[in-house]
Amino acid sequence: MILIVDDKQANLFSLKTLLQLNVYDVDTASSGEEALKKILKNEYELIILDVQMPGMDGYEVAEIITGYSKSKDIPIIFLSAVNIDKRFITKGYTSGGVDYVTKPFDPDLLLLKIKTFSKLYRQAKELSDIKDNLEQKVEKRTEELKQANKNLEVSNAELQQYAFIASHDLQEPLRKIITFTRIIEERFLEKTPEAMEYMSKIITSSERMRTLINDLLNYSSISVNPKFIFTDLTKIVNQALVDLEVSISEKNARIEVDDLPVVEVVPEQITQVFQNIISNALKFSKKDVTPFIKISGELVQKKSAKSKPSATGEYCRITITDNGIGFDEMYLDKIFNMFQRLHGKSEYKGTGIGLSITKKIIENHNGLITAKSKEEEGSTFIIILPVNQTAEHQTS
Amino acid sequence: MTKSLSFLLVDDDTDDTSLFKEVLEEVNPSISFNWAEDGQQALRFLKDQDSVLPDIIFLDLNMPRMGGKECLAEIKNDEKLHKIPVIMYTTSSQSRDIEETMQKGAICFITKPTNMKELKNILSSIAGNVHSNLEKTLRLLSNNTTTFIVC
Repeated sequence: MILIVDDKQANLFSLKTLLQLNVYDVDTASSGEEALKKILKNEYELIILDVQMPGMDGYEVAEIITGYSKSKDIPIIFLSAVNIDKRFITKGYTSGGVDYVTKPFDPDLLLLKIKTFSKLYRQAKELSDIKDNLEQKVEKRTEELKQANKNLEVSNAELQQYAFIASHDLQEPLRKIITFTRIIEERFLEKTPEAMEYMSKIITSSERMRTLINDLLNYSSISVNPKFIFTDLTKIVNQALVDLEVSISEKNARIEVDDLPVVEVVPEQITQVFQNIISNALKFSKKDVTPFIKISGELVQKKSAKSKPSATGEYCRITITDNGIGFDEMYLDKIFNMFQRLHGKSEYKGTGIGLSITKKIIENHNGLITAKSKEEEGSTFIIILPVNQTAEHQTS
Repeated sequence: MTKSLSFLLVDDDTDDTSLFKEVLEEVNPSISFNWAEDGQQALRFLKDQDSVLPDIIFLDLNMPRMGGKECLAEIKNDEKLHKIPVIMYTTSSQSRDIEETMQKGAICFITKPTNMKELKNILSSIAGNVHSNLEKTLRLLSNNTTTFIVC
């Protein structure tokens, strides 16, 4: 709707007729005061304002109109006499568009201007509505995402608890199976070797199941409340070597440990990592070759296996090299997957979970693990850990 | 005359209890075997004036009414009972359980073996050394058996 403001009825009438002929809705006011009242009540897309009016003149009215937030963007076309007062130019009306038409005016020209300005105004309004709409949508989506996140956290905690309880409760009956099967084997089957053999298979499978459940228990409890402490990694490696004493002496293995840095880790978990990798190195050693394992570490600049060493580096790179049977690097991703094995069950013992637990622990420490290897030429496992955990949390 | 030994087992699992009793008899039939099915019953037995105090207590962790950790704390707080060596004898091998019980005063943490020959070996070593070098015996055991033992 367009508002025409002019104190002369004749002018109001002729303009109104012109506009209505061109299918515009028109409203009129015969003074500045009346116009202002109407503006507060109604929505207008354009105001045609006579400059020369008794009481408030067009410029004063325009100034007030641009002061109301409701109407500040409404385009105004001034109708003025031949001598255009430059006041409106210097006053710098910015928003909504302002123009003027001199009297007597050319109706075609006026119509053109009206068309242009009212279109502009409508478009601006549309844009503003779209913007509000978008903002509302974004807010809604953010709320939905926050809620979904909360739900995920709850279900995650539940799952972890479930895995823990399931593994725990599964172990009990399994233990009984193993215990009593052994008793039967020992007490009653000495004279029936075939039965002994079958019993052995039962026991072996049960033991395997027990190891699996244990490993699953382990895996599921890794991310729960990690307690990071600054620890000397050399001590951790030495602890792992003590735990593996029996295997090491059985295989007559030679192990070399360089000085390793102090890093913020969860000690029990990182001990597990070294235990797993060193025990793999021992397990997958060549038959007639004395296993040799070297463990070294240095500070590096970036979280990457190829990063340059740097005394002020924020990451620690640990390298564990062995001279065992190695593996084809095309399986590199697979070996870190749960239950993925590269050899048959009877060839090399193991559940296949070890390395996936190791990987999960390293990821829990915001680090990364990878390996380099060639069949028959040994393997090198590379672990990168941030020296500082709290700093890592801030940057991630 | 050497006084015959007395063992107390606190465990709610009847299978484990009968196996323990059987093996103990094989090791030394003169050792008197006492059993309580939870911490509460154990304490009632131990605090009873007429009871003969055991030379060693084997204590399970997960039991109804009163579990092993609470029972251990009570035993170590009692002036008559705190000197009796307590060995945790349980299905758990969780480091948290080990830390807590060792801190509370248990001299050893044994995860129940599934192999009766092993159990016999363990009980026989302990029975022979309850009043002398018990800790050393246990430490030796922990290095020489596949059973999970922590001292």
